[in-house]
Formats: sequence, structure tokens, C-alpha cells
Amino acid sequence: MEKRREIEKKEVPLTALRDGEKGTITSIEVSYGRCLGFEKRLMDLGLIPGTEVIVVKSAPFKGPLEVSVKGSRFALGRGVARRIFVVKNNV
Amino acid sequence: MSKGRLTIALAGNANVGKSVIFNHLTGLHQHIGNWPGKTVERAEGTLHFKGYTIDIIDLPGIYSLSTYSIEELISRKYIVVERPDLVINVVDASVLERNLFLTLQLMELEIPMIIALNQMDIAKKKGINIDVEKLEKLLGVPVIPTIAIKGVGIFKLLEKAIEIIEKGQNARRIRVEYGKEVEERIAKLTKIVEGTQFFYPSRYTAIKLLEGDEEIERMIKKMDPKITEMAKKLANELENIHGHSCSTIMSSERYEVAGCIARQVQSIIPPIEPTIEERFHAITTHKIIGYIIMTFLLLLTFYSIFTFGGYTSNLLSNIFYGWEPIFESIFGKGILGEFVWGGVFEGIIAGTTIALPYIAPFYFILYLLEDSGYISRIAFLMDNIMHKIGLHGKAFIPIILGYGCNVPACLACRIMETERERFLAAFVTTLVPCAARTVIILSLVGQFIGIQWALMLYLFNLLIIFALGRIAFKALPGEPTALIMEMSDYKLPHLSTALKQTWFRVVEFIKIAFPLIILGSITVKLLEIFSLFETITEMLSPITVAWLGLPAIVGITLIFGVLRKELTIIMLATLLGTTNFSKVFTPIQMIVFTLVAMFYIPCIATIAALIKEFGLKKAIFVTVFEIAFAIILGGITLRILNVIIS
Repeated sequence: MEKRREIEKKEVPLTALRDGEKGTITSIEVSYGRCLGFEKRLMDLGLIPGTEVIVVKSAPFKGPLEVSVKGSRFALGRGVARRIFVVKNNV
Repeated sequence: MSKGRLTIALAGNANVGKSVIFNHLTGLHQHIGNWPGKTVERAEGTLHFKGYTIDIIDLPGIYSLSTYSIEELISRKYIVVERPDLVINVVDASVLERNLFLTLQLMELEIPMIIALNQMDIAKKKGINIDVEKLEKLLGVPVIPTIAIKGVGIFKLLEKAIEIIEKGQNARRIRVEYGKEVEERIAKLTKIVEGTQFFYPSRYTAIKLLEGDEEIERMIKKMDPKITEMAKKLANELENIHGHSCSTIMSSERYEVAGCIARQVQSIIPPIEPTIEERFHAITTHKIIGYIIMTFLLLLTFYSIFTFGGYTSNLLSNIFYGWEPIFESIFGKGILGEFVWGGVFEGIIAGTTIALPYIAPFYFILYLLEDSGYISRIAFLMDNIMHKIGLHGKAFIPIILGYGCNVPACLACRIMETERERFLAAFVTTLVPCAARTVIILSLVGQFIGIQWALMLYLFNLLIIFALGRIAFKALPGEPTALIMEMSDYKLPHLSTALKQTWFRVVEFIKIAFPLIILGSITVKLLEIFSLFETITEMLSPITVAWLGLPAIVGITLIFGVLRKELTIIMLATLLGTTNFSKVFTPIQMIVFTLVAMFYIPCIATIAALIKEFGLKKAIFVTVFEIAFAIILGGITLRILNVIIS
């Protein structure tokens, strides 16, 4: 039981979640230098570590993800979503 | 009795009904322009109330007061530097927590403010009930519930605004209390900042320094570099304690407070059935049906703009040209008459009959698409494809519009987020063959060589757009902004706001574009009057004849084409005395001529639109670049075609 939880607690990028799955944000990766801009915008919109994100669906042809956060609906480009790490929540 | 002048600014998230409130307040007394040097719209208006003359400024829609976007920077600077007498923070009751995040930051700017708790009806539909009194008490700021779209609460809002300005606001409002370690460091920093007499409030400055706000950091560094060093050290300490970046910590704690307030004042009983807005959203973003609906709506948009435009354009030009005899009888048929009619008045006609009939319906429809929330759905569907040229999904709109007319298309580029993306989108847009260029392509290549060749030219054009777009994307400094976009609930646009906005934007366009169009028209007329055409064809012949292999006469038609692109073909017919172009042009010449006409310069109205949106320098750059590009491309094509065919 304990071991199973360990596996589920693994951090995955938001893009790994399937439509309808929920996750809690653990961190946002800022790889290109001190690019505060994009990280900042995410946080301004409420995508902060500890917040629950629901992946509603993704647009076709590897398009953006539709996510729901704190009652708002956002479109996140794949490049952005790949940098948001979450822990999958049990439905 | 006049009691003087007041300034009130409206601030809030995008899509919260700010512009509707603005329109209720100001009616027809408004002016829409741009913020100095920026592509961001600035809407101002005046109203008279209780003996005051009140200027209302509608600040751009923002989510935060950081420096992520130009809009945020403009809003923050305006509030701190211009110091309006009061800020009305328009808050969307249906997404309270996220809206309060901005509210808390506005409060940190320590300015008198009240809150318009708008879209109460949408909140109710979502099953959200808000205890207004409690919210007011918790924030220490007056809160007026409003339903702007129905005009509910607007009068009360205004009354409250005046009351606060007259009485002054008592300072018992809450402030965001950050965690203990953070507060200690804010206090430390605030103390030092206080000594500098910086124009932002000290506590705010301290907080922003810890967050690593680039603009404030730069300004403070100029005053005293020791302060920024200190701030960095303190920020590092915090990062070590929390294991997150300092700006993450601050934002989290701010959201914590916003969430805590929201939870205390709202009770939510979510509706069991999805609302009609949600169903619309699901359909319009569906992976198959979504695209069908989008295609249909865009075709409809296109069709209605251009049918309306074509019809009105015809109607207007018939009326105007009916006045020609009147002009002749006043100014005679001599040089003066030619000049007044052909130079000045034809310029006005060109502006009125070409630009206006298309941009008025365009502005209207664009507003509807934007305000209803549909544009964000298009961006969602098209993001992936547009990414290939470094733009995100929203750029699809101006590009599609460009096929009708480049002028509204350039103006539509303001829906992009950053200055860089706007310019990039506008650049790409001016390469799209508009209706006038379609006339050239079809009546020359299409008619005399074959429709498949015309289609080939379109495809070739797409390739060029794609290639130049990519190059420009690589060449322009700055990073691509990835798509991070809210898709707010669909809502019915407010008709009278849409009409008023359309009207004031058209007026603004006339002011900027018309002088230029008339000037261009006068110049061409003067050339004609002083019979300089021959000199010009000779001057241009190294390019037109030697390099492009065309008859010398096309030099003039290309000059006329600057006024309006279809003139290139009309003039060609006039000057050659025939519409059977196959007699005077070889097929290769036709293709080369069409290619040059397609790319060589945006028409004068488009140049005017570029100047309006991006300033003279960038407009000249685009123009010069495209002339050079078209000439080079034309010459190369000629040589390649010659080789292939011979």
C-alpha cells in the first residue's frame, strides 16, 4: 500500500496527464535563464505550486491543453505545459 | 456649479466587463487612441456628475501588476505616476479568487479605490453567492455589486466614487500579510527604500524588489545600487528557506490571502447540469466540430465584411463621382480643376470608399468576436499551426482578414500579447494578397494564362509568407511568448458598447490615415499634371525593363498601385489602351508583373495603418523591405522561368 502511494507520488509534466485527470502542481521549471516572464504569468493566473489542475482536454495535432484552475479555464501551449510538474491526484 | 475636475481610472482583469462600465459612464464623450508609442489602446472619456467634470480612463485588462506585458506596465505606471483621484477595480464575481489577486496588488499601491463587483448574474448562474458586506469588511474597501451589461449598479458606483473622493478613504483596509520570514525582510527593505523618496509606495517597492521586478530593480539601482544588492541577498535567504523562487513565494502567499477571502465570502452550489455557456465552449473547441464551426464563422465574417464593404463602397463612389461635374463647374477643367478633383478629392474618395466600408464592419465584428470570447477559442484551435511561424493561435485572425484587406488585418494585430508578436503578425499580414491583389492575379494570370497558374501563385505566396515569417521570427529580438491564455466563459456582447467602440475606432483611423491617403493622391496627381511620367518611366527602366524584363510603362502603374493596388491593373489598361493584355505581355511577363504587384509595397492605407500601430520607423522599414524583396524576387523568377521554358 505504502509502496503504491510512492509510485503515484511521482512528479510528471502536465502533458503526461490524460484528459479529465487531475494533478497538484509541484514545481514550474524555468530552464532558459532567468526568464521570469512566463513563470510569473502562470503564477499570476493562479498556477502556483500546491494548486490543483484539471486537464480538461487537449487540442488536436499536439495543440494546447485546456486546463481548469481555481474555477478559471486556460489554454496552455505544449511548451508551457511541459514545464509544469504535477503529482497525479486520485480521482 | 462646477466643483472642478476629477480623474477616475478603471482597472481589472480582461473580460470582466470593464469596457461596458466605461461606456455606461461616458456615453458618447469618449476618445479612443493609443498609449504614447504603444500598440495598446487607450480609452478616455468624460462625464459630468454632481457638479464635477470627471475624466474616466479605461486601463487595459490585466491579471497582475508585474512586468509581464506592456499592458501591466502601462497600468502600473499610470496609477503611480498620474495618480488618478480614484481607481475603480472591476472584479468578476464569477471568478472571485483570481480577480482578488489583482485587487490585493492594487491595494498595495496605496491609492483610493472602490470595487465594482461585476457579472453578478454570471456568478449566480454558476451557483456562486457572494456576501458583499462581508467582502467589503474584509478588504476595507467599498464594494458595489453591478451587472454592467444591464446597467445595474452603475449609478451607485459613481455615487460611491464621489463619496470616497470627497471624504477621503480611511486607511483601515487590509493589506496582504506575508509569512513571518517574508514580512521581516519586507520591513527591513521598506525602511531603506523610504529614504530614497522613490515615487512608488515604499512597501510596494520593497515587495517588488524581493520578487525581482525588473523595472523597479533598474530604477532603484540607478538611485542606490546597495539597495538592490540587499534585496537580492534577502531574496536568496527566502529562497533557501522555502525552496522556491522568491516570486513564487510572494505570489503563493498573495493567492493564499485571496483564496482565504474568497472562501469566507462565497458559497457555491454548482449547478448539476452544465450551463449553456459550457456546452457552447465544449462544441466550439471540439476536435472536429470546433474546426467546422470556426471555418463557418470565419467565412461568415469574411463574407459579411466584404459584401457590406463592396456594396457600400460602390454606393459611395457612385455618389462621389456624381459630384465631378459640380467640381468642374467650380474649378474649371484646367490645372486647378484637375488638382482639386484628381488630387485632393479623389484621395478623399479613395479613403472613404476603400478603407471605411471595410474597416467599420471589421471593427464591429472583431469587437464581437473578442468580447464574446470566441477569439480565444480560435487561438486554442490554431495554436499549433501558427507556432510554425513563431506566432501563437491568435495570429490566425489577422492573417485570414488580410485576404480581404490588409488594413483591418494590420489593426487586428493588436490582439497579440507583446509588441514583438504584434509587429511580426503585421509584417506577415502585409504579405497576404488582399482582394485588390486578387483582382490583379485573376484578371491577368487567371484570365490569360490559366486559373491553375493563379492558384500556384497563391501557393507560392503562402510559402513565401511561411519562409519570411520564420526568418523574421528568428531575426527579431525577444523570446516567443508561449500560449498562456484564459478562455473565459462565453457571454453575449453588449451591443451599444460594440457600436460605440466601432464608431470611435473608425474616427481614430480617419484622423491618422486620411491625411496620408490624400497626400499620396496629390503627389501622384502632381506628377501627372507636370507630365513627369515619362521621366519616371525612364528613371525606373533599369529596374522595370533591364531587371524585370517588363515594358517601361509599368513603372507608372506600379506607382499608382501604391494608392490602391487594383489601380496597377486599371492603369495598365488605360495606358496600353487595351484590356487584352496577352497582346502586350508574354505569359512570363504577366507572372513577373503579378508577383511584383503582389509583394512590392503595402498600399498607402495599409502603410497608414502600420504607422498608426507601430510608428513611422517600422512602417518605413516594412515598406522598403517589401519593395526590395518584390524586385529581387521578380527578377529571379524571370530568369528561372526563362531557363525552364527555353
